[in-house]
This record gives sequence, structure tokens and C-alpha cells, in this order.
Amino acid sequence: MLDKIIKVIKSNNNITGYLITETMEDSSEMFFIKKNLDMDRAKSVHHYAVTVYTDFEEDGTCYKGSSQTEIHPTMNETEIRKAIDTAAYAARYVKNPYYPLVEPRGEYKHPAAGSFSGMNASEYMNKIVKAIYKYDDFQNGGINSCEIFLNRVYTHVVNSEGVDADYEHYSCQVELITTWKEGGEEAELYKWLEYSEFNPDKLSEEVREAILICREKAIAGNTPALGKVDVILTREAVKELFEFYHRQSMASSVYNHNSTWKVGDHIQGDEVKGDLITLTLNPFMKDSTCSRGFDGDGYPLEPVTIIECGELKRYSASNRYAHYLGVEPTGSIQNMEVKGGKYSEKTLKSEPHMEIAAFSDFSVDYITGDFGGEIRLAWYYDGKERLPVTGGSISGNICAAHNEIYLSNELQKDNSFEGPMAVKILNVNVAGV
Amino acid sequence: MKVAMSDFLTTSKPLIKRLVKLLSEDYKYVSVLGTDTGGKSFQASKTGYDVSDYMFRERGFVVRVHNGTNYSEYSFNEISEDKLESIAESIRSRLGRCDEGIAVNSYEVIEEEDIKESFISDVEINPEELNPEKIIKELSAIRDEALAVSDLIANLRVAFAYQHVSKIFISGKKDLEQSYIIGESSIFSIVRRDNKVKYCYDSASGMRGYELVSEIREKYREIVDTSIKLLDSEPAIPGEYDVICAPDIAGLIAHEAFGHGVEMDMFVKGRAKGAEYIGHQVASEKTTMHEGAAAAKHMSSYLFDDEGTLGTDTVVIDKGILKTGISDLLSAMKLGTVPTGNGKRESFERKAYARMTNTFFAAGTDKYEDMLASIKYGYQIEGMYSGMEDPKGWGIQCIALLGREIRDGRFTGKLISPVLMTGFVPDVLKSISMVSDKIHLDGAGYCGKGHKEFVKTSNGGPFIKAKVRLG
Repeated sequence: MLDKIIKVIKSNNNITGYLITETMEDSSEMFFIKKNLDMDRAKSVHHYAVTVYTDFEEDGTCYKGSSQTEIHPTMNETEIRKAIDTAAYAARYVKNPYYPLVEPRGEYKHPAAGSFSGMNASEYMNKIVKAIYKYDDFQNGGINSCEIFLNRVYTHVVNSEGVDADYEHYSCQVELITTWKEGGEEAELYKWLEYSEFNPDKLSEEVREAILICREKAIAGNTPALGKVDVILTREAVKELFEFYHRQSMASSVYNHNSTWKVGDHIQGDEVKGDLITLTLNPFMKDSTCSRGFDGDGYPLEPVTIIECGELKRYSASNRYAHYLGVEPTGSIQNMEVKGGKYSEKTLKSEPHMEIAAFSDFSVDYITGDFGGEIRLAWYYDGKERLPVTGGSISGNICAAHNEIYLSNELQKDNSFEGPMAVKILNVNVAGV
Repeated sequence: MKVAMSDFLTTSKPLIKRLVKLLSEDYKYVSVLGTDTGGKSFQASKTGYDVSDYMFRERGFVVRVHNGTNYSEYSFNEISEDKLESIAESIRSRLGRCDEGIAVNSYEVIEEEDIKESFISDVEINPEELNPEKIIKELSAIRDEALAVSDLIANLRVAFAYQHVSKIFISGKKDLEQSYIIGESSIFSIVRRDNKVKYCYDSASGMRGYELVSEIREKYREIVDTSIKLLDSEPAIPGEYDVICAPDIAGLIAHEAFGHGVEMDMFVKGRAKGAEYIGHQVASEKTTMHEGAAAAKHMSSYLFDDEGTLGTDTVVIDKGILKTGISDLLSAMKLGTVPTGNGKRESFERKAYARMTNTFFAAGTDKYEDMLASIKYGYQIEGMYSGMEDPKGWGIQCIALLGREIRDGRFTGKLISPVLMTGFVPDVLKSISMVSDKIHLDGAGYCGKGHKEFVKTSNGGPFIKAKVRLG
């Protein structure tokens, strides 16, 4: 099929370049209600995403038009030709500044194969089920429902310049709903887990924690209207917070005016009282479903520090936007590593604060820096007592706060993120119930 | 103009029927959903252009079988005469074979009635017939007119996208097919002054074609002006306020509160408080809420859902009383209720869940002017940004782009932004005191279940007056 697509592309004289991403995905899925299997599913699919390019010149300026289309494996040659020709025709009117496509740069490095490699899917699925339900034996709470996806994905990128790269990776995804009833209303919390390595002990422990934290929600009182208070973000919210820094440091964000950051900027300001941020993108992070040796353009990836001690060192730049800004590409890397700060989590929690364990949906606006969310579970510490609370919301703006934020020196690992276990932000609005 | 049914699905039908027959030798129930969904998305911004296939394109099949105890599914996208046996073998060898130590829920075999139906929609201006050059040029012209409004615009994006959905559903007794086009057009304006950045957007959408671009063209000035005014906005001071929710925010409340809240697969899991409140008052008497593929002609209007159940119009709340939920086929079987045609999949590659289609509050009798005049101090909340459901705890989180301050029944010109609205669902809905007499639906975004399974839906309603907590 790949040869057929390339042959059709080459027969169109208007096309000056192409990029094809072939993916094959094979999945096993199980859906549980309580401890019972409610449905099982399997999937075997094959996709071809094709981008065609047309270089042209107008008034002495060079442009590169492009258009992307999906070629389905069931398409006959007439359909393939129609899809490619339509894309090529449209590309002529996509008047984007010129950029070169990625050229071959020798051998690609690859992340370690991982423990799912060469797996027998059904054998692993049963082991995963056992690990998830290992500690589901509490009297007042446990797993309400759970969805398990075990995927093997083969990705193959070729382009007109000779790039030809492929790799295979595995991902285990678990959507977990836990509940707990402690006299009053039954409480519920949501948890998404994702791994590229099979580590049953870690999986069991994360599920156990998810169950036990639900117990806290079951006994939580209403969030008081605190006005402004120091807030400590934990778990998934920390990753989401640092995603703002990643997005703002992207060359594409700068080129599209979503970010005004410049290399050399002290992004937290010149008089920082708290911890300075150091953010590294590591394409080879262990146990991340996002680890890979090349990006979607076929650009070879290496670890790169984007922000060091609060200073933007370089842009996170894909091939196209690196060319536009005149900087060296880093390729598109999704794994983020953020260094811990000066203080321990215990020290950060020693003063009155609101520690948030779970939001309905912690939302960070990657353009404005506004953040907020409804509190599903938090602990309010008034200097004497630490009480679980629920309801209400927090809201603030990262840019207005990051000259004094504190990062715990203990780290957490959540699939494609490794960074502080806790982040303390001062004077955040807390709306109570 | 009638849209065209997928040739691929039409020619694949005999093969699919053979696959159903082949598998019926081993399974008491076999069905196949076939999908062929294409479309294009066009975008012109200050910094570039983009023409791509629509994000959620798909072409493939999902087989559902009753494995003797419950249901198993297999998704695939390669089919030919010589592959039929190997597909059947994959289903036999991979499905319904969990470890013996795992307990399994049981389901009855689906009983169907003979039905053969087809739905082919009309479209005013079929985007598939248009030259991409014309579309790009027109979007660029709107962009240029908008950019000319102010130097404060850092970037501005004008977009149009359409999706041509074709599906077939084949089982022992059902032979269904449908094909329709849905479209959306939007403008997104980012403005910057000193270190402050704000943005505003709006969209037009529906079971419509390229005519949506004319509609969005009329809005560009207002979108740009609002984005500039947002540069002077302040964050909301947390507290409880009287508000008027614009139709998109009314729709967001309907969607998050009693859309997700009555998805009946959540009833089966014991995850929805709504199950305990059927027949009880959950909203003010002025509140009536519809949900269903047949309830409106918009982004999620179809003949049949992804399990082959015909779409319906469900009255979820009638004058404040919670009447019923919305269900997929298997949840309805488990609960002993009639399926409502709400079994939807993100694509043929994903499981079907009970999902929303077109969700909206019905119109009331109040005049908007009277509603505005009734607010002593509060806000009009506009511009849907995001929402999150909590069917179990009945919490609600809605984030809106802005609030317009109202004092003594008039807009003061002051804006708050962003607006985080939270509360306890019945408190919010019981506080609805006025409902305007016209409704409007929007469907440019996506709806997830939890944090995945994204599908197109539409939401809307009239202007509603309520009391909410802003954060």
C-alpha cells in the first residue's frame, strides 16, 4: 500500500514533497463494572496519513503549500489518486512561507524496548487485571468501574527527502473510577493511569492510593470561602501547570503570537523570590508512552533543556517553526522533566494552605496563563488542623504568580512527566461553597 | 441538494452481510457498524494557512457479537473477499476469552425487529463541490477585514470545516444506512496590549454546509471588539450572583448538569445520582430539557445511532421534574428500559457509550429585555470555554470566556474574564427564574466522557436567569 501511495504521489507533477505516517495498532480492551467483566474488545487497524507539499514562488518569494489527507487501506487506486490530487490542488493555495523538509541524519536512537515488548496480549491483560484488583478488598469502598486498554502501535515515517524511520511501542491505559461511602453520600473520584512498562506493584499501589483518597472525599466538608490563600497543587495538576511553560516555549506559539517569550528571557521575572524553573524535554524517558527517537516529521530527537533556572534557553521547535524563527530544531518532544525546588513537601505544607488532591478538571489556558477548576478533594490546613474539603473552586493566573512559586524537592512520575510532587502558589482565589 | 452515500459502504454491504452470516454460525447475535466519514478543514490566520482532512475522519467496521454470556467487539479497517475468514477467525480466537478467575456480567441476546431504512440529508451549499481556492480566498478576505479593525490583534484565525458522515448498520434483521454533512465555521481573535493577552471567539455550526461562512462573516467585528474590550477585564470576585446565561452557557449547563447526569450507562454503574431522582423535582418549573438525535436538526441528528437504534427526542426534564435518562442499547437492556438511540462511538475503533446528541433547554415565555431589567447587580455570562460533569456528586464546573456586568438592569460596559462557574446542580437549576422565548444551538466543540471518547454534540437553549457561584 505504501508503495502504491508513493507511486501515485510521484505521478502528480505539482507535488514537490511528501510525508507519510503509517501506523498499525493492535489493541485488547476490557471494561469492568465493579469486579465483573462487562465487555471485551479487540482492535486491529492500519492508517496512512499523507501530507503533500507544493513549493512555489510569487513576486520573488518562495512558499511551501501543504495539505494533509488520510489514505484508508481499503481505498482503490482511483480513490487514492483522487485524495492525493485533491490535496495537491488545495496545497497550491496554502501560501505558507517556505521551509525545507527533514533530511536523513543517520541512525535514530530508540527508547529501550520495554517489558511489554514481544507480549502475549491476553496473558498481560490478565496480569494487569490482577494487579488492578489486588487491593480492592475494602469494606466501604473500592473500584466502581475500570477500563483497560493494552495497545501495540507500530509507527513508520517516510518522506520525499529519504527519511525512513520506524518504531514500535506499547501502552497500557487504565481509566479508574473509585468510590467510598462513609455514612453520608457515596463519594467518587476519577483516575487515569498510563504506562509503557509492566510494573504490577506500581500499578497496584496507584490503584490502592486512588481508593484510599476517595475515603477522604467521603468525609470531606464543604470548602470554606477563604478569599486568597496559598494553594498547593499535587498530582496531575502539577503536570498541567508546567505544560503552560512547555507551550509558551514552543517556536510555533511564538511564531503564531500565542507567546512573546524570547530566548534569554527570565520568564518568571527579574526578582524571583521562590524557586526557579528548569524544564528539560527528554524523548527517552523511561516508562513513558510518549518516548520515541524521532518526531512526526522524522526529525531525530535528543534530550534538551528548554528552561534553565527561570531563563528560556531555547525554543521547543519542530522543523518548520525552527526554520521560521531561524533556530536549531529540537523536534517535537512530549516528555517533560522539571527539577525539584529547595524545600521538602513537608516544609511547603508547614504554613496554612489549601492542598488540592483532585479537581473536576484543572484547566490551564496556554495562551493567557489563567488557571482554575472545581475542587473535588482538598485538604485545608489552617495552621492547626488539616481537614478534607470538597466543592468550590480556585482561580488565578500563572504569569501573575510565578515570581514566587515553590516546588517540592520530592519528585513524582506520571507517564510523560517527571517533576515536583507539589507546587505551592501564593495568594490564590478560593471560592467556597 | 442531497448528499451522496459512501460508495465504499454501498459496495461493501454484500461482504458485510456475508460476514454477519458467517459469524452467525457461532454467535446468536452479530451486528456490524460500517463507517466512512471524511471532510476537510480550512484555516486562514495572520501567520499562515492550513488545509487538512477533518480531524475525526474514519473508514472501518466494528463487529459486535453475543459471546454466550455478554458482548464482545472487534474493530478493523481492512476488508476484502479473501479476508472474511481471517476476520471471523480473529473474532473467534481473541474475544470472549478472559481468564477463568474473572467474573463476567451476563446480558440477554438482543432481540430485533426487521427494519430497513435510509436517511440522506440535504445541504444548501455542499462544500465538497467547492474549489479549495474559493474557500481559502473567502476565509482570507474575512481575516483581512478583521485584521484591519485594530493593531492590537496579535493573531486572528478564520476557519471552516465540514464532516461528511456515512454509516451502515447490518445485523440479522437490520439494514440501515445514513449519510449527512455537518459543518462549522469560526473566528478566533487574540489581542495583546503590553503584557496582557486576551482572546475571543465565536462559531456557527449545524447540519449545514458552506453557507455557515456567511454567518460567521457577520460576526467578525463583534468578536474583535469583544477581544479588545477583554484587555480591560478583571477577574471575577468570588461570590454568588444573579446571572443571565446566554444560550451557549445555558446549553453548557444543560449538557454538564443533566446531559452527562442522565447517561444511563452511569445508572448501570451506580455512578449517577440522577437515577434516584426520576420523578422528582430537580429544577424550577420553568425548566424543560430535551435530548436526542430527533430533538433538533443540528450536529448530532441522525436516523440511527452506532448500535443500530433509531434516534429519538427524549424529554429529560419536564417543567422541573426529572422524567428519564438517555441510553445506549446495552444499558437499556440491563435496566429494563427502552433504548433512546444515544449509543455513540468516538469512531468505529472505540466502544459505544450512552452519549448526548442535541441537548437543550426548551424556550420559555420571558422577553430578554425583561430579564435584563430584572437584574439589580450581576452578570451576563457568555462564550463557552469548557465544562466538566460530575454525575455522582452533582457538582458542575463551567468555564466561560466572559461576564458582562449588569447594574440596575443595564450593562455597565465592564467585563470579567475568565468566568469559572461552579455549584450543586439542583441548586443551579432550581434557581432558574426566567427563560427567554427563543432558543439557539451551538455545536462547534467536542464532548468527552470523563477525559476521552470525544464526539460531536450540540447544546443550547434560550437565555436563562439563574443564581450561580462564580470563582
